[in-house]
Amino acid sequence: MKKAILFLSFVAFAGSIFAQKKTTTSATVKFDASTAIDNLPKAENKTVIAAINTTTGSIAFEAAVKNFAFTNPTIQDHFNGGNWMNSDKFPTFTYKGNITDLSAVNFAKEGSYTVNTEGVITVKGVEQKISTPATIVIKGTTIAATADFSIKLADFGISGAPIDGGKVAKEPKISVSAELQ
Amino acid sequence: MSTQTKKRSPWRKRILFSLLVLAVITAGIYWYVATDTYSDTKDRKPAYIVSAFDFINEFRQNEKIAKEKYNNKILLVNGRVSAIEPADTTMNVKFVDTGTGDYIIFTFQQQHVDEAKTIKVGDSVSIKAAYRDFIYSEILDAYSIMFQRSTLNK
Repeated sequence: MKKAILFLSFVAFAGSIFAQKKTTTSATVKFDASTAIDNLPKAENKTVIAAINTTTGSIAFEAAVKNFAFTNPTIQDHFNGGNWMNSDKFPTFTYKGNITDLSAVNFAKEGSYTVNTEGVITVKGVEQKISTPATIVIKGTTIAATADFSIKLADFGISGAPIDGGKVAKEPKISVSAELQ
Repeated sequence: MSTQTKKRSPWRKRILFSLLVLAVITAGIYWYVATDTYSDTKDRKPAYIVSAFDFINEFRQNEKIAKEKYNNKILLVNGRVSAIEPADTTMNVKFVDTGTGDYIIFTFQQQHVDEAKTIKVGDSVSIKAAYRDFIYSEILDAYSIMFQRSTLNK
């Protein structure tokens, strides 16, 4: 009986170590909507909140729209304005998803793993499903995750003359990286 | 016939000249806007000087008023560093209210990113930066205040 209790305690303890939610408040999301005729519409946000649950494979991101940093002040103002992201009304971009092949990664063993993810990204209050591969690197107690994909602005109801005129890409490239502790 | 030609010609010239001037002005404005960048925060005078936890409390008490007050302003924020986090190739500095989990986070301006590497957890520092937003995180169940283009104020 004592051995059984001891064993269960050990399992619970081990579970609490390895089966946990890891987070960061300094994940990075970059987007590049530049074109051949305009190099300005690209930005990065380095204060993105991210979480991963190593037991369930759930992943979540929250990015404050106003904290996307552009090199050009006017472009940054336009990006946050009512005609584009309307960041006063829609202050965050969010993503909620899962690793669909969780068995492909061993969170207890150092190494680099390629996984598939599926989830829902929300921009300007519009939800869209998205599937993308991601790379997970385990080193010590740190999980580094990266993913690259693109979105169609039209899917989120984002349109305008700069897009039609070729000054803003219709399908910006998105790069995500997070070092979760 | 020749009189008519003489009458038309000055107007054509004037119109062409006006269009040329307009084109030059438009190109100048476009060039100015396209090449404009943010000034160095170190050279900016802060609109407000605040202490980290009083600042967080001000937002908790009335988010709407605080957001309007600090919108796009340069602030000098004094506090004790709670955490330093890697962010891509740079570091972010955080002041955390351990009681609630609410926090202030600073990303450093490109020319000042090395300053963040000199800061240690527990240091009392003054950071001058551009206020961006105050948001609630469902992931953390906490509020965060975000600053851009930060520099260490010495």
